[in-house]
Amino acid sequence: MIENIKEIKKDELLAEVKKFADAKARFVTAVCNDLGDKLEVTYFFNMSPGMEMHGLRITVGKDEEVPSTTGIFLATVLVENEMKEMFGLKVKDIAIDFGGHMLLAQDSPVTPMLKTEAAGRKGGE
Amino acid sequence: MAPRTVAPFGPQHPVFPEPIQLKITYEDEKVVNVVPAIGYGHRGIEKACELNEYQKNIYLCERICGICSCIHGISYCEVVERLWPIDVPPRAKYLRTIWSEMSRTHSHLLWLGLMADAFGFESMFMQFWRIREKVLDLLEMTTGQRVTHSVSVIGGVRRDIDDEQKKKCIKVLMEVRKESEALINVFINDYTVKARTVGKGVLTKEQAIALGCTGPHLRASGVKEDCRMQGLQAYGDLGFEPIVEKDGDSYARSVVRCRELLQAIDLQLEAFSKMPEGEIAVRPKGNPPANEAFYRAEQPRGEVVYYAKGNGTRNLERLHVRTPTYANIPSLLVMLPGCELPDVPVIIHSLDPCISCTER
Repeated sequence: MIENIKEIKKDELLAEVKKFADAKARFVTAVCNDLGDKLEVTYFFNMSPGMEMHGLRITVGKDEEVPSTTGIFLATVLVENEMKEMFGLKVKDIAIDFGGHMLLAQDSPVTPMLKTEAAGRKGGE
Repeated sequence: MAPRTVAPFGPQHPVFPEPIQLKITYEDEKVVNVVPAIGYGHRGIEKACELNEYQKNIYLCERICGICSCIHGISYCEVVERLWPIDVPPRAKYLRTIWSEMSRTHSHLLWLGLMADAFGFESMFMQFWRIREKVLDLLEMTTGQRVTHSVSVIGGVRRDIDDEQKKKCIKVLMEVRKESEALINVFINDYTVKARTVGKGVLTKEQAIALGCTGPHLRASGVKEDCRMQGLQAYGDLGFEPIVEKDGDSYARSVVRCRELLQAIDLQLEAFSKMPEGEIAVRPKGNPPANEAFYRAEQPRGEVVYYAKGNGTRNLERLHVRTPTYANIPSLLVMLPGCELPDVPVIIHSLDPCISCTER
């Protein structure tokens, strides 16, 4: 069990992330989990002093678009690209969008971290 | 306005021991934009950890990086131990701390040697690496391996350090401290080192926090954050205080690492003096329960984050690893624009980038 995780709606994400930016929090990481028909995304922030961890969790459908948080924390740029290509998370308006090929090559399997049959297909199939 | 040119910096470049590319746009000699490109050696270790049994993942995680393999293995064990939870014996916590600090010692010595080499100080490069060999010898003596130690297991550690080994460790560590201190004094007071690093790649405290920086990179900008402050393992008993500099430039980052090198040796000596007797491991029962856990440790390059989700089977539902260099790369987008092209290698090297970690 991880403490200090707040479940929010997708539409509240940017406003909640902005609160962490205003509080001078440091972005730590974001974790995506495949729940079957949905994706669960948790953003983790570090609050000083005391190095307390706080999380924001959203659950979205696999076809739903998610707003990018890079406009608030540029630090999320790599992890949002990674979630996009590894899980197929539809992140919209990333500051630097690698188009699904930050880590994966053109002929790599697509969305390899998904647990469904969609994972493992080659690019273009 | 001078014409703009885009030039690839890497993926094969003398300053990079591993492949990463920076697409640098510059006018004359001044950098105006940077786009990083990674993915040249991605290995899919997070996915592999879902497919392997949880005990076997220790060896996979240790292979995320050669230099900080020990702390990767320990961090994986710690996050899985939190899923149950399992209480690790106090002596095992001390042993993990000692090996973690030994890893930091040899990693910072490695970086100092590479930095000296980047300036053309061949003799200093060889001296730092000569000292580093002594630390690797200690790791070999106590764990059985020089690089990938495989000494941590779920519930504790695999090997103990006996009294004879302890005496040898203390003797060698004191030698290493004395020799390192002498070389560090040369390094941080050298005219050329200062000329190449002071005022180069400046990152303010506010920028370092906003960009999610970590480790010596963050502390060199005046932020007092270090995962060892959490008091986990034996750090709570050792009176640990993070080392902080204020200027946020390449020189400050170098000074933080130099001071941390000496501090790491002091922490090992103190841990040896306080290490309690007792068991070194407990055996976990069953499989990790359906739960999730989060663990942060301070690697030589900064904070490493392990997230694990269990499902009650022998396999983890999910393992996520956020490595320090992965967190530090976005800061290059701010630090490099505005600097002169010849300063790019020094600024990048001042981050002590580990691409192997990034491409886990």
